[in-house]
Amino acid sequence: MAAFKGWHVLLLVGTLGLLAIFYQGLWGNPNFIPPVIVETPAPEVTGPDLYKGTAVSLSDFRGKVILVNFWASWCQECKLEHKSLLAIKKHYEDDPNFAMFGINYQDKDHLAKDYLQVHGNNFDHIRDLDGRISIDFGVYGVPETFVIDQEGIIRHKQIGPIIGDVYSDMIEKVIDPLLNGTAGIVGTVSSS
Amino acid sequence: MIVEIGHYAVVTALLLSMLGVAAPIIGLKRKNAAWVQVGQRALILTFVLITVGMVAMIYSYLTEDYSVKYVYATSNSKLPIFYKIAGLWGGHEGSLLLWAWILAFYSMAAATLHWKTQPVVMPYLILMESIVLCGFLLLILFLSNPFERIFPAPLDGKDLNPLLQDPAMVVHPPLLYLGYVGLSIPFSFAMAALFSGRLGEEWVKVTQRWTLFAWICLTAGILMGGYWAYYELGWGGYWGWDPVENAAFMPWLVATAFLHSVMVQETRKMFKVWNLFLIILAFSLSLIGTFLVRSGILSSVHSFAADPGRGVFILGFVAFMLLLSFGTLILRSAKLKSSVTIESVVSREAIFLFNNLFFLVALVTVFIGTLYPLLMEVLQFNKVSVGPPYYNAVFMPVALGLIFLMGIGPYIPWRKTTAKNIKELFGLPLMLAFGAGVLLFIFGIREEYALASMTVVAFVAAAIFIDFRKIALFWGKRDRVNPFLGFLSAYRRNPRRIAGLITHVGVLVMIVGITFSSLYQTEKILIMKPGDEVSLKSFQLRMATLHGAEGVNWEGKEALFDIYQEDRIVTQMRPQKRFYTVSQTPTTETAIYQTNMGHLFVTIPEVSPDGTWARVRVLHNPLVLLVWYGGGIMGIGGFLNIFRRDRKRSVVSVASGVTAKTAPSLASGRDGIVAQRSES
Repeated sequence: MAAFKGWHVLLLVGTLGLLAIFYQGLWGNPNFIPPVIVETPAPEVTGPDLYKGTAVSLSDFRGKVILVNFWASWCQECKLEHKSLLAIKKHYEDDPNFAMFGINYQDKDHLAKDYLQVHGNNFDHIRDLDGRISIDFGVYGVPETFVIDQEGIIRHKQIGPIIGDVYSDMIEKVIDPLLNGTAGIVGTVSSS
Repeated sequence: MIVEIGHYAVVTALLLSMLGVAAPIIGLKRKNAAWVQVGQRALILTFVLITVGMVAMIYSYLTEDYSVKYVYATSNSKLPIFYKIAGLWGGHEGSLLLWAWILAFYSMAAATLHWKTQPVVMPYLILMESIVLCGFLLLILFLSNPFERIFPAPLDGKDLNPLLQDPAMVVHPPLLYLGYVGLSIPFSFAMAALFSGRLGEEWVKVTQRWTLFAWICLTAGILMGGYWAYYELGWGGYWGWDPVENAAFMPWLVATAFLHSVMVQETRKMFKVWNLFLIILAFSLSLIGTFLVRSGILSSVHSFAADPGRGVFILGFVAFMLLLSFGTLILRSAKLKSSVTIESVVSREAIFLFNNLFFLVALVTVFIGTLYPLLMEVLQFNKVSVGPPYYNAVFMPVALGLIFLMGIGPYIPWRKTTAKNIKELFGLPLMLAFGAGVLLFIFGIREEYALASMTVVAFVAAAIFIDFRKIALFWGKRDRVNPFLGFLSAYRRNPRRIAGLITHVGVLVMIVGITFSSLYQTEKILIMKPGDEVSLKSFQLRMATLHGAEGVNWEGKEALFDIYQEDRIVTQMRPQKRFYTVSQTPTTETAIYQTNMGHLFVTIPEVSPDGTWARVRVLHNPLVLLVWYGGGIMGIGGFLNIFRRDRKRSVVSVASGVTAKTAPSLASGRDGIVAQRSES
């Protein structure tokens, strides 16, 4: 008689499991835009500060509205939105309930610093050394921006640069309502 | 009328493919070869009939018969003839028909070519191929019928998707299918081996060329798709880890692993079950890929109309094939055990084992990445896509490991080796690689990945070059000719090995292209008006004019750029923003200027409504052409391997009177130095 081994069972279970997942998947909505993690708890972010090198954790800022912006010095579209980012930070300068971080993605330490030197800087940046933070956030490319509410839930995702209307909407329709506690569901926006 | 003939031909083909399933089973039950012959004839006729169906469809395209719904959906009277024909695979229904036609072609070819030499395998081969054909024909006729009519007949068609109106896109789907479907032949041979219990090395040898041909087509298909994405989608990259790209890449990874591991079975009679598993997996992944693409289960730039009905059918079919093949493997393999074990970790078979493990890890990486959103959704988590960061982090180290093995595998001896031997074999290549790394560093290459991959590439290149040089000199000396002819003479003696190494050279060239074009790409995006200038690398681009342009079935804007290098005009470039009037779709047409092996790449993704300014994207992709040149070299290696002329000893597998006579005469010939290894 045939002697069944571990890999036999594994292969069979694996095949059946895969088929079950496929079957289930058929009833999902195929046109659902995938990179949505809005309305879910933000992944924990821990990484070294770009300048001080000390570890920064987003969870330390729980209770505030946090804007997280993924950028890189080699990213052209990031340059387009950089002024807007500086303006947002400036806009909420006196609001203790607002915090803002840049996540420097796949970049060189000195190139990132040069970039901020040239384009100006008024907020803190965390380095995503091994790309883990970007993977956790499901980032496809830079720039992408997330807004996290006081409870640590991601309430907004912006794909592409914050320029023009996107900028004013970001302040008036996303951050202000969250700070005032009048926010509804915001969702994902792609500016490109 | 013609379409109806085609339709009925395909209906008849379905019935015949059912006969193709039944006849070999009856033949096996009754031990009657006549029934097997019936099955073979049914397969051949099936091919003829599906061809009639294809011709009928193409006829409707050429005669602009828009009462055929599918023709209406994918063609237009203004289309050039070339794209009218290609419209056939421009949508779901026609693609499936093409799939079935290619499958019928392969089946017919295999059942005819091997009819005399593989009588034992034949019934199972016909059976398996007919099952797959039957499944696809059912799908075509009942759920995706391209022959369907609409009434009243529209005056003109909706036009072929403009993105598909492109030469690369005309050949990309057929090539890809030739690859996907071609894997069905070695798969059927493997299943035949399992069913018939003849699990020796024979099926592996017979299917070698089939697998190679499928592999070349798959490689070419993937590269062609990448090339299309590169200039047609206008984002400047050729690979985006999109689910549909992955669907083609996964069978490729497994087929590549299979092509390597069969060599171990041939030489050392090991990995028997493993090879069966690999080829079943490779073809299963082809089917799963078809399912993923055709069911619209994953969202992707390629997605076609989603239809759960079709999805359920294809899934049912995939489930049937998977359970049948893996089930048989499980039941049969219990009897099999490898008679030889690996003696040492530093032996060629061990390197092959690592090669296979790496390929499988690569597969799992891509597989998880592709299915991740689906998994999350099914398990009630929120849907999250896995983007390029994941692949860059996980896939790249595996790829580097695989390339590194290319420098070791072909040179390390079978069974085991000594430390001294290793030093002799790899000392010089390692030193050269290290030197190359240092040189690159001095010349300003600072990216870790670029340094690592170029050092590894240098190692493998050195190993290959040293080997080629050695054999060229050796045979040149023996035959008293120059080293070049010596190399040819070495090639004639062991074409398989050298053709394989040529393929490796192609891989290296491609890796150089991938590394530089991705890590050293430079980009500028800006708003430009006529008269504005921008510089990138050594180029100055001046927008001369921004004007209207039109073609047969589109209108749009074109920017004219004068390109200067050191104040000298070198070329003019004309990127366009097109609007296809019939299908109401905009496209971005890329302008490309070739510099050395790289590209200057200009697009205008956006033009202001009043036509005064355009958003301009300028890219410099250094060495990007090497990606496709490398692919070309890989293909040359592959074809040399298919069309190689084996020496007698490997063709005749059973020691017969003939071999007994020829073997000594060969041995006493001028190439007697090559040991006559017994093959039985």
